[in-house]
Amino acid sequence: MEKQELETIIGTLGKRMNRQLKEYLDVCVRCAICKDACHQYVATQDMTYLPAHRAELVRAVYRKYFTKAGQFMPAVYEARDPDEHLLDDLYRSTYACTGCRRCMYYCPFSIDTQWVISAAKAMLIAAGRGNEMLGQLADAALFKGDNIEMFRDNLVEGFREIETQVRDITKNPEAEIPVDRQGADMLYVALAGSHSILPAAIIFNEAKASWTLSMFEAANYGFFFGDPDKARLIAKRFMDEAKRLGVKEVVITECGHAYRVAELFYEAWAKERMPFKVVHILEVIDRYVKEGRIKVDPRGIREKVTYHDPCQIGRNGGIYEQPRDIVKAIAPDFVDMTPNREKQWCCGGGGGIVAMEEFNEVRLKSGDMKVEQIKATGASVLACPCENCRLQIGELNEVHDLGLRVVPVMDLVVEAMGFGHAAGTTGDERDAAEAVV
Amino acid sequence: MSDTKPDLELDLRGLLCPMPMVKVSQNISKVPVGGTVRAVATDAGSMADIPAWAKSTGNEVVQAEKVGSEYVFLVKRVK
Ligand code: SF4
Ligand code: SF4
Repeated sequence: MEKQELETIIGTLGKRMNRQLKEYLDVCVRCAICKDACHQYVATQDMTYLPAHRAELVRAVYRKYFTKAGQFMPAVYEARDPDEHLLDDLYRSTYACTGCRRCMYYCPFSIDTQWVISAAKAMLIAAGRGNEMLGQLADAALFKGDNIEMFRDNLVEGFREIETQVRDITKNPEAEIPVDRQGADMLYVALAGSHSILPAAIIFNEAKASWTLSMFEAANYGFFFGDPDKARLIAKRFMDEAKRLGVKEVVITECGHAYRVAELFYEAWAKERMPFKVVHILEVIDRYVKEGRIKVDPRGIREKVTYHDPCQIGRNGGIYEQPRDIVKAIAPDFVDMTPNREKQWCCGGGGGIVAMEEFNEVRLKSGDMKVEQIKATGASVLACPCENCRLQIGELNEVHDLGLRVVPVMDLVVEAMGFGHAAGTTGDERDAAEAVV
Repeated sequence: MSDTKPDLELDLRGLLCPMPMVKVSQNISKVPVGGTVRAVATDAGSMADIPAWAKSTGNEVVQAEKVGSEYVFLVKRVK
């Protein structure tokens, strides 16, 4: 390895070296309790995916360059250079990690392997080995944001088409999709596709909410890629719009990582306190149901329904009860998976892994526990408020022939509002995904 | 739409954003430089996503148009 490349990698790790990272690197006692917590390791028994091993690759470099013992006696202290072999291993274990943090939940020292993974991604990017697909998706989002006028007409035309659908479904000719509305109470941050706008727009209109859309979307591939600057810039677009429009709440759609970025990371990245609250759309819908602002049929969903806690909303976001309360308010036959809430198994689709074909095999295999959990419930509908989880569980549904309807929670709510509008299934979407000719 | 016969056809109907962009990105390397991919999507978000991806990766959207309820793209691999 060239001296300059080595210096860049070590310098990058040095910049990340705060007290928290140092502690995670210093305190692991190799008890291996985390091995039974990681869905990828449990499903594959492959060392690459053992949480402590993933972190160990960073630790070895840390010992060599940041500890005296590792510098003077590298063999004794298992200190290593970030050579090609280590970087290859680091790439596979790092970009496969879904960031679910189930390992941290079970670790007796609460070592946050995902935190170490974020340092590993920075090292890989410094070495020119960041994942290409995630980098491209992040750059495309940045390009779109920088040149939004180029896309404005198309986006507005799309919003108007969805508005027509909202009016048709609700039979309310006054229903609207406000865009860039100054002084609205809420900025709803959706995904690029209409599927995340239509049900929310129906619900907001029925609740007579003061809301608006902007040109900017929630998905953040800069976060998955592992570049905090890109991640911050992607989120900054809608955060700046929220400030400009003077909203009281930024409402993030049913997307796990987007919620975590906006609610938990953005202020630290921006070094600025935001003058509004960040909430998840299901917190808002739960409010509407409990306050009677939207009318739902308590028997609106007759099938047996279960709920998947997306890691970024549940274990890493702290939202467990509101989605369940919503589902229970419309589906009398609700059954929880076991385990659930903070102990739930990751479905295997987080961290941007659904976009990285090279991990398809481990991704599908790592869904084994989720498949068993779902089967054990006997449910035919799975409510799931995260796009990546829906993609993954939708594919597991096909592969394992589970016969499930995999739907966003807000789609189920619309179904239970009595407009005769049924939500689509993720299975159909996967059919299309496989129909690449 | 162009009469050019594409080197690869992608049926992305039913896929939700950003997956149409992801699929184009995953498949562009399967055509030679100068070759084209014709992609048909149904998610309106692809009208912004796919051109943005092409611009940021140095590829070229030769045509992008709405045909009925579908969005049809001809993307040329530039590098
Ligand atoms: S559970 Fe914690 S302390 Fe034990 S090996 Fe895993 S990371 Fe290290
Ligand atoms: S964060 Fe999740 S995927 Fe990553 S090592 Fe921990 S348990 Fe495994």
